[in-house]
Amino acid sequence: MKIFKSIYNLFFIIFFSLFINISLANVNQLQDYYKTIRCLVCDGQSIQESDTEFAINLKEQIQKKYDSGMDLKKINQELVNIYGEEISFSPSNNHIILWVLPLLTLVLIFFLVRNKYRKN
Amino acid sequence: MKKSLIIPIIGLIILGVSAFLFFNKNEERDNKNVTLPSSLFDTVDFYDMKPLNQKELDDFYIVNFFASWCKPCLAEHPLLMELQSKGIKIIGINFRDDEENFVKWINEHGNPFFHIIRDDGSIAYEMGLIGVPETFFIENSEIQKKVQGPLFYEDIQKYL
Repeated sequence: MKIFKSIYNLFFIIFFSLFINISLANVNQLQDYYKTIRCLVCDGQSIQESDTEFAINLKEQIQKKYDSGMDLKKINQELVNIYGEEISFSPSNNHIILWVLPLLTLVLIFFLVRNKYRKN
Repeated sequence: MKKSLIIPIIGLIILGVSAFLFFNKNEERDNKNVTLPSSLFDTVDFYDMKPLNQKELDDFYIVNFFASWCKPCLAEHPLLMELQSKGIKIIGINFRDDEENFVKWINEHGNPFFHIIRDDGSIAYEMGLIGVPETFFIENSEIQKKVQGPLFYEDIQKYL
């Protein structure tokens, strides 16, 4: 009987630690996600760092949706639909032009300077 | 035209087009994706527990988010009272507030609302609220205008 009790205890410990691990992973996943969401009423802060009513409410609503089984990709899509791209610190690929723009500007400056020196 | 000028000119054109596309996109985003959530019409009035009947609303009405803890809400309150006196229906959404403070606030300052509900933040989220007060002007069931922050006389004078 003692061996059964030990096995039971072992299983209990394994399941309990698994449960804790999964819960912590979920919490960490959400915390990491909050860091990617911009607090629109703060200066450069994410909702994770902010204690404004906006950030608190957004965190609560995201948590509710996450707990009801909605995945973070869908939540993110919904957030972008409602608040626009600026809500996210990691904008989608369609803003590639914004990344290319500084490079284009550099090329432009390079040619302007080169032309000027050539004339001289 | 000098050959050496072609590349800078093309660069400037690309910059101009990019800037236009970027700013134009921002303008398009405003209010386009935000609609009145259906959950708003499933609510009952805080005082008389009557459900919100869409048929009772006129073509034009206002949705106002407020809270008793919000000072600017108090500043715009007289304007809401004036709108109500002109027969404009206002749906008041009490955003994340303590019930006791909310009731006290309404008793103290007056109730300009045709329908008043208390929101835990879910309606605010669906309507893209960033803070209180925030006011939506609805015409033919569509959001025509949104005012973030307190209302000023200029915002409402055309409706008076």
